Amino acid sequence: MSNRRPYVRSMDGWWKRDAYFVSYMAREVTSVFVAAYAVVLLFGLVRLGQGEAAFNGWLQYLKTPWMLVFHVIVLAVFCYHTWSWFKIMPKTMPIMFVGGKRVQPGTITGTGLAAAVVACLALLFIVGGVS
Amino acid sequence: MEVYKADVAIVGAGGAGLRAAIAVAESDPKLKIALISKVYPMRSHTVAAEGGAAAVTRPDDSLDHHFNDTVGGGDWLCEQDVVEYFVAHAHEEMVQMEHWGCPWSRKEDGHANVRPFGGMKIERTWFAADKTGFHMLHTLFQTSIKYPSIKRFDEHFCVDLVVEDGRVQGVVAIEIATGEFRLIQAKAVIVATGGAGRVFRENTNGGIVTGDGMALAYRHGVPLRDMEFMQYHPTCMPRTGLLFTEACRGEGGFLLNKDGYRYLQDYGLGPPEDKPRNKFMELGPRDRLSQAFWHEQQKGRTIEGPFGSVVNLDLRHLGEAYLRERLPQIYELAEEFMGVDPAHTPIPVVPGVHYTMGGILADGKTASGLPGLYSVGECSSVGIHGANRLGSNSLTELIVFGKVAGDEAAKFAKATSISNPGAIEKQADAIQARALGIVNKADGTERIAVLRTEMAKSMESGCGIYRLGTTMQETCNKIDELKQRYKKLKVDDKSKVYNTDWLLAIELGYLLDVAQVIVYSAFNRKESRGSHQRLDGYEQRDDVNYLKHTLAYYNGDGAPRIEYGDVKITKSKPGTRAYGAAGVKADEERKKQGAANG
Amino acid sequence: MADTEKIIEIEVLRYRPEQDKEPVWQSYKVPFTDDMSVLQGVQYIKDYLDETVSFRWSCRMAICGSCGMMIDDKPKLSCKTFLRDYYPGKLRVEALKHLPIERDLIVDATDFITKLESIKPYIIPKEERTLAQGEYLQTPEQRDMYEQFSSCINCMLCYAACPQYGLNPKFTGPGILALMHRYNADSRDGGQAERNELGYADEGYWGCTAVGYCSEVCPKGVDPANAINQNKMNSAINYFTRFVTPGGADK
Ligand SMILES: Cc1cc2nc3c(=O)[nH]c(=O)nc-3n(C[C@H](O)[C@H](O)[C@H](O)COP(=O)(O)OP(=O)(O)OC[C@H]3O[C@@H](n4cnc5c(N)ncnc54)[C@H](O)[C@@H]3O)c2cc1C
Ligand code: SF4
Ligand code: FES
Repeated sequence: MSNRRPYVRSMDGWWKRDAYFVSYMAREVTSVFVAAYAVVLLFGLVRLGQGEAAFNGWLQYLKTPWMLVFHVIVLAVFCYHTWSWFKIMPKTMPIMFVGGKRVQPGTITGTGLAAAVVACLALLFIVGGVS
Repeated sequence: MEVYKADVAIVGAGGAGLRAAIAVAESDPKLKIALISKVYPMRSHTVAAEGGAAAVTRPDDSLDHHFNDTVGGGDWLCEQDVVEYFVAHAHEEMVQMEHWGCPWSRKEDGHANVRPFGGMKIERTWFAADKTGFHMLHTLFQTSIKYPSIKRFDEHFCVDLVVEDGRVQGVVAIEIATGEFRLIQAKAVIVATGGAGRVFRENTNGGIVTGDGMALAYRHGVPLRDMEFMQYHPTCMPRTGLLFTEACRGEGGFLLNKDGYRYLQDYGLGPPEDKPRNKFMELGPRDRLSQAFWHEQQKGRTIEGPFGSVVNLDLRHLGEAYLRERLPQIYELAEEFMGVDPAHTPIPVVPGVHYTMGGILADGKTASGLPGLYSVGECSSVGIHGANRLGSNSLTELIVFGKVAGDEAAKFAKATSISNPGAIEKQADAIQARALGIVNKADGTERIAVLRTEMAKSMESGCGIYRLGTTMQETCNKIDELKQRYKKLKVDDKSKVYNTDWLLAIELGYLLDVAQVIVYSAFNRKESRGSHQRLDGYEQRDDVNYLKHTLAYYNGDGAPRIEYGDVKITKSKPGTRAYGAAGVKADEERKKQGAANG
Repeated sequence: MADTEKIIEIEVLRYRPEQDKEPVWQSYKVPFTDDMSVLQGVQYIKDYLDETVSFRWSCRMAICGSCGMMIDDKPKLSCKTFLRDYYPGKLRVEALKHLPIERDLIVDATDFITKLESIKPYIIPKEERTLAQGEYLQTPEQRDMYEQFSSCINCMLCYAACPQYGLNPKFTGPGILALMHRYNADSRDGGQAERNELGYADEGYWGCTAVGYCSEVCPKGVDPANAINQNKMNSAINYFTRFVTPGGADK
């Protein structure tokens, strides 16, 4: 008869065990905010469909202090989400060579972030130009 | 006891054991193979080999060159017919490894690349960055999974061979996870358990390299051949003994003494040049380089510091980018273990025990005198290394002779059957009782670690780079004493599951037997040859009396019985072993003589 | 060496299945010098303080993959982690997380080995070649496509770092998926379709939620997270094309 008795440790509270897990969970939680904000925008779209008055009402609502606070939070959360997403991005790409040299993960993350910033600025510029 | 019936049992799943297992499986898929290893195969010490594996590859190279380098490098103590077979089959085995997926480093045209190595006249060392052994081992292990006839017994510790009716008919092993014994019946047994470097203190070997198979075969009357020849590697990390591969010098590294002087030029290896040149300076053979270190130390020209007496391995001129590409693991070792950045600071190094040239006596087909028993790899002495192994010949040996061992054992197994299963099982029970006796002893007093340390220290003083009759005698006495004290060993751990304490105790028994053979063989060889160098009136090679193999036979409790055997010489008469400019001259003279003799 | 001997406290999570109901911490005081690894500290315990402490080790040079442990809760190779970095505090060593403890610092590796054996970790040649034909040609660039993934020493640190594996041991896990990618990415190999069946299954690439800690702790720069996640795209394409092409994409 075997004397083996392998002991399995519990996974309870695993995500608190390591700072790395905490930041991973934070990334996962930020996706909830992304989804939540999508709902807010969707709501705006619905209102637009209901006519100009409804849409203006929705816009007014966005300007209430609570919604402003909400936006500040969402902005911060989005920044974190974007950063953490581009940080993981090199992991999703096959090994690439440019001019015989291996493209470094930092380059991919940097390029991604830069592209995101440029896109945001461009959007702001366009929106600013229209209104 | 649980019994497993195999046709061929292989003890050891390093490069040699795995290659042999695949050879058996390919020679006949119906043969049942038991592959036994005390660690998971990929932990075997082949994993640590860095530099590469030799095989004649370039058009300007030839089998004769490889033969001459090997035989001359071995100070003419090689079996020349076996070396001929070896050099002739090296290349096809490299290609076989390539087909199995080994990530050999490549040239731009897609062919495998070769690098220079110490004592080799022409570049012929195949390499996979500086992780050659790692890649070869993993490739062999993963390839072995393809063959359903290979049944692995991972983490099974072999405690004895079963010899019945005058031939080997199985092995007994402990399943480490449970402490239970297992009899593995087999018609042929291949021992591939690796070297015995752990007999010494500062060495490049892993903790598992304890000479188990050598001791087992020896206890059953098979002689150990040429065990006095232990190779010191000239460039090891001080204190831990970890290796900085010879490839560091192959890539162009310099060895400097405390004056920043390339001292090897003072020892017949010059003249120095900026670029590495085969068989010159830093690319001289290992024994010569280690001996030069010793002389520098005597002259007070080594660097004294926190690491003891060291010399510097200087790689700075190669530049960081090149070092990271060609020697990534070396870079990492130096940075992490020593806090040295080799691109900016020379690495302090010392010689350390590295390789066991001798081993279980085997013929050119790996068979021992005991029917059914084969041996291959570092534990074996098929006769290609002589008195000094050339770097990168041993990885090649694993695969060239691993295949031979597999083929031969398969042939033998097919022609025989198990003779007396009842008697075999009875023997297995007796083996079990003996092994349990070690752990169950009630009145032990001696500590494992204490005996092991005393052994290693004594071996270092008696069987170092240079040897003296008096100190060797002291070491003989010391090992005899330790063998007596071993009988009173105390094992604290009485449990069964992963009782590593017990295994260490059994290993210590193996180590002591092998240590005894090494020092008695050394004491009796009254000459200097290859890695065996004496300073007490026997400074020269003595071909009249000692162009002979040492054969050490087990003699119960007493000292081993030392006999001598002939050396097979086919085409290379013993000459002067010379390197550097002197070597070029000697080569020319030999050629002239050869022409004059027809 | 002249440096004066310092003493460090090492706490070991002990578990002896024949006597302990569950693991317990035991503390030892170990004299050390600055070049001593955590492995050497544990060896000192076994040699001089307590012979019954069990652990695996061999090469001492970070290549055999035996000596992985949780060191202050991080998965590390104990032979290349140094006591000096924890002094003057104490340090805690524990068997690798997420794997069953067999005894003391030794984990059960059978799951890892069984998975390794299941993924056909050998070349399934794209085209057969005899020895006489010589080696397959492979340029350094082609070699670079898989070299990193072939550097895995099977130390299982990434398994101790992967919460998905801890939560669901059926997940093939980082190291083995990296090995699968190693063969798939080899220019000599033609076995992708066979291996993808495992890779594209639920327990394959999709068991990964891109935590990324595996790549962080890997001592050999294998980057298993990359091996896994670069395959998700292929897997997704395969999944959708299966609806479009009758009979599935891979078959
Ligand atoms: C640091 C280092 C670098 C090296 N570099 C090179 C190089 O560049 N080129 C070169 O040609 N050579 C090199 N060598 C030498 C070469 O690597 C070895 O000689 C060779 O790998 C030995 O292989 P092996 O298969 O005989 O034994 P190993 O790989 O040591 O395998 C031994 C096997 O036996 C098993 N075993 C042992 N005892 C028992 C037991 N009692 N029960 C069950 N199983 C047991 C072990 O588990 C293991 O599986 C190097 C050696 C070292 C140490
Ligand atoms: S991928 Fe890295 S961490 Fe995982 S087993 Fe391999 S070497 Fe270890
Ligand atoms: S002892 Fe081999 S990896 Fe640490």
